[in-house]
Amino acid sequence: MSDHTLDKLPGGYKGMAADMSSDQTAFKGVQWGKTMMWIFLLSDTFIFSCFLISYMKGRASTVVDWPNTSEVFSLHVGDVPVPLLLIAIMTFVLITSSGTMALAVKYGYERNRKMCAWLILATAIGGLTFVGMQAFEWSKLIHEGVRPWENPFGAKQFGSFFFMITGFHGTHVSIGVIFLFIFARKTFRGDFDTGKRGFFTTMKSDYVAIEILGLYWHFVDLVWVFIFAFFYLW
Amino acid sequence: MHAGFIFLAVIVGSVLFHIFTPWWWTDIASNWGAMDDTINLTFWIGGGVFILVCLFMVYCVFKFSYKEGRKVEYKPEDHKLEKILTIATTIGIIALLAPGLIVYKNYIDTPKNALHVEVNAWQWGWQYRLPGEDGILGTAQVAKISDDNPFGINLDDPNGKDDILIQSDELHLKTDKPVKILLRSLDVLHNFYVPQFRAKMDAIPGIISYYWFEPNKVGEYEVLCAEYCGVGHYGMRAIVIVDSEENYENWINEQETFSSLIAKQDNNKLKTTRIAKNNN
Amino acid sequence: MPDEYNQKNTPLEAQSSETMSGSSGSTTDIDYVRPAEVPEQDLYHGHSFITKWVFCQDAKVIGIQYFLTAVFTGIVGLILSWLMRLQLGFPELVPFITAEHYYQFVTMHGMIMIVYFLTALFLGGFGNYLVPLMVGARDMVFPYVNMVSFWMFFIAVCVLMASFFVPGGPTGAGWTLYPPQAILPGSPGSGIGIILMLVSLSLFVIGFTMGGLNYLITILQARTRGMTLMRMPLTIWGIFTATALAMLAFPALLVSCIMMTLDKVLETSFFMPAIIQAGEVLDYGGGSPVLFQHLFWFFGHPEVYIVALPAFGIVSDLISVHARKNIFGYRMMVWAIVGIGALSFFVWAHHMYVSGMNPWFGFFFATTTLIIAVPTALKVYNWIITLFKANIRMNTVMLFCLGFIVTFVNGGITGIFLGNVAVDIPLSDTYFVIAHFHMVMGIAPLMVIMGAVYHWFPLVTGRMLNERLGKWHFWFTFLGAYSIYFPMHYLGFIGVPRRYFEMYDSPYVTSATGLNEFITVAALIVGISQFIFIYNIITSLKMGKPAGKNPWKANSLEWLTHEVPPTHGNWGENLPVVHRWPYDFNVPGAKEDYITQTTAPSEVLGAEVEKT
Repeated sequence: MSDHTLDKLPGGYKGMAADMSSDQTAFKGVQWGKTMMWIFLLSDTFIFSCFLISYMKGRASTVVDWPNTSEVFSLHVGDVPVPLLLIAIMTFVLITSSGTMALAVKYGYERNRKMCAWLILATAIGGLTFVGMQAFEWSKLIHEGVRPWENPFGAKQFGSFFFMITGFHGTHVSIGVIFLFIFARKTFRGDFDTGKRGFFTTMKSDYVAIEILGLYWHFVDLVWVFIFAFFYLW
Repeated sequence: MHAGFIFLAVIVGSVLFHIFTPWWWTDIASNWGAMDDTINLTFWIGGGVFILVCLFMVYCVFKFSYKEGRKVEYKPEDHKLEKILTIATTIGIIALLAPGLIVYKNYIDTPKNALHVEVNAWQWGWQYRLPGEDGILGTAQVAKISDDNPFGINLDDPNGKDDILIQSDELHLKTDKPVKILLRSLDVLHNFYVPQFRAKMDAIPGIISYYWFEPNKVGEYEVLCAEYCGVGHYGMRAIVIVDSEENYENWINEQETFSSLIAKQDNNKLKTTRIAKNNN
Repeated sequence: MPDEYNQKNTPLEAQSSETMSGSSGSTTDIDYVRPAEVPEQDLYHGHSFITKWVFCQDAKVIGIQYFLTAVFTGIVGLILSWLMRLQLGFPELVPFITAEHYYQFVTMHGMIMIVYFLTALFLGGFGNYLVPLMVGARDMVFPYVNMVSFWMFFIAVCVLMASFFVPGGPTGAGWTLYPPQAILPGSPGSGIGIILMLVSLSLFVIGFTMGGLNYLITILQARTRGMTLMRMPLTIWGIFTATALAMLAFPALLVSCIMMTLDKVLETSFFMPAIIQAGEVLDYGGGSPVLFQHLFWFFGHPEVYIVALPAFGIVSDLISVHARKNIFGYRMMVWAIVGIGALSFFVWAHHMYVSGMNPWFGFFFATTTLIIAVPTALKVYNWIITLFKANIRMNTVMLFCLGFIVTFVNGGITGIFLGNVAVDIPLSDTYFVIAHFHMVMGIAPLMVIMGAVYHWFPLVTGRMLNERLGKWHFWFTFLGAYSIYFPMHYLGFIGVPRRYFEMYDSPYVTSATGLNEFITVAALIVGISQFIFIYNIITSLKMGKPAGKNPWKANSLEWLTHEVPPTHGNWGENLPVVHRWPYDFNVPGAKEDYITQTTAPSEVLGAEVEKT
């Protein structure tokens, strides 16, 4: 559909009702891939919600005290323990990578191939840094004796939930990083300009793919904000 | 056409089966007659709807089977009819739900004078604990369970000392006296279920669940585990005997309390150490 | 893009739904339908046997692959049910059925039938085959992902079947897999068996998510010109809503599977409190078994409707076509499907009335559960009102539909017993529950599946199934299944608990020995009579009467392809253009007793079409 017709769509609830009762598509001008990503993310939201609700239930009903998180997660600078230092940096890096991703999408739609590719690369490196710091934090906790099945600081569910949920989130980030690298290469090569057909699909490549990946990346960041709040601030 | 007759036979057969069935409730032996009443109410309303719907269907089969050129009604919607059906169904549902919720309210409100009985379930058997004269059960934990302390009662808790321990399959209850069953499990999920009492509840390791009833018929009843608990599930039976007040007192006086159990074990230990000493 | 798509370029806002419908629109061109919004889909056409039939990207072939795999698991489930029934009816007749084996059969039968058979068959099988055809798409929107979806399902089935051959055998934890017993030595197969089950379920969820995204996006974003949501056949509405439910319910299953796998493998204590088993204190502590039940049933209840909603949709279409009458109250049917789907997320704890959760939840969940009964009852009324003043072909398909109505109403009403908390307390965990859910989500959806096979077999293969064999098959199945499950309710009234390997001499069951024997015999007969069906399918593949185009004179798009059976890409050169809903049967003033969805208003000028 051309942008010309998109401009004339009625807005608001009336527009939504008109779209829903029309033929062909329910979401006008939204590509299949983008619809898919939104629905997938909705489903993924339910996964993370189930994890976090289980975590809340587990933490509320455990018989042993929950460890003091500001001590467990603190980082020693010299001899001074600074609570939440590492996690603040991690969160900062991840949020920044969301910013670079958003810019990449913008430059992509402006057909600024080089700029877009560099920004995707920057996002990927941000994500990689995050995963690296997470690995550091894991090894620090493991070094201190925290395991999925035991925890020297208190309730053993702390270790279980921490490793499971951050691990599940870390997997999401890692998958995102892999795709970011692939997309950076594709952009450098100009696949999105030439409309080269992808490996997994017979459809032509298009810059909208970068926006779709961006949706995923922002989602992963958003989930991190919740994990951050529930694990580190509670 | 004969298909209609067979469907009709199925409906008539269902009704006849219901009327002549030899398989029906066991005689109720608790205060939950109201549960049977709600079931019967549901049966009559639900059964009525089933019969009406199916008879209407059979009628259509007889009346409107395929005939070339039959005039068929073309009427995609009928708002009035749809509205009537919605309202009628809603009323029917409320009529079923409301009594059910009232009965349930009674079910979760345990009377204050109820006798507490703790049921301990394990793979695969039962044991029971009753409060002693203080009327209060001592606190207990799974981790404290040992051969000397089969219920895991906290030794520091004074309430636990006079608790009556019944390490057998046979539990006695007093007739016409409400009982609050407190359920504990040592390992997996179980469910203390006596069909004649109608009530049931799962026993869950880690928490104490409860329900109550008032046995009102003297007799002997079989306890069945009603929550799958592993390969011995089907053999997890026990006996509940509902006694008259006099028999109940006789029975309970014969049972052992926690303090006497400890004393006995201390005696045994003393004996063994003495024997050991003598041998030396 | 073909040229005709570009003929008119009216802006979107000028298209109210009325002008689009064509029947009451502008007088200049009553056949006008908006131009195409989405460019044509490029399809990958297979060239070799492997790409055409094995790793195939054609949704129709994937649908058949799903169908056959699901039927295979279903036959395994059927055989397991025979073994269980043999033990219950004639204890000790078959010596190798020990208690361990019995519980393994129970577990695998339940899980196979619900997840790997019914869910896969309705959504993977019928969904894949019918969705693109019925909405007028060339294929699913992501054919490659769709192919991977099937192979994930296939691997999941292989992992599940592998558990029969590992040491300790498959899990015998009951299909609900309640911890702690599921992963403790007291249950059979609590070693490798349970791990394989959890892995298999996780794979199933991943595979299903891929397929589900396809069904949803195809229905939302790839409909053909003129196909509005309110012109879709109810089959599509059922599949659509069920898939949406699955996308939101399976996450809970996945999470509970992951957590239980960790409890088993890494000895975490998510669901495991302090436990003393066989005199030994285990390394667990502080977890909550009830949490698992909440997660499981948050998946488990929508799962019931994941199976039921496609059945509701399909049966509506079958009834309408074979009664030669429009489905009564189409809009209400759609809203009932959507409403049931939405409500199904708020009723899960009615499976847990006696689970030891906070008893106050009972009030909320009993109320929500009984509210669901209203839209469900309305659907039943609409089916039977559709039969009223219709012209009913009493063929096999219609018989299965009628069988569905009887069994569904029966099972639905016993559902009201179990939803109402006070009534549920004496009945839960007895045979009443078994009878209820087999009637409502075992037999009733099976009736629909079989009816649907008789209905769509001519489309898939180009040949008709044998009517006479079909009728025999129906009566054996329907009467047999009804006589299994109707009397079984009465076992529940006596108080016979479920999942009992044997009752010994308990008074509850000695009185019912005869009944148990009868049920077992009926179960064997029903099982064997399925071979009539299989025989019918196999012989009809080669020797069935050629069906020709649209043998049932149906209206919906799947019958209107250029070639029968439809080929890859479905529609030949041009996509179909839709002008009406699929239920215009016996419209007054029309020459024939049906008007297909693609018939333009100008071709049936005299017909007094009421709505589209």
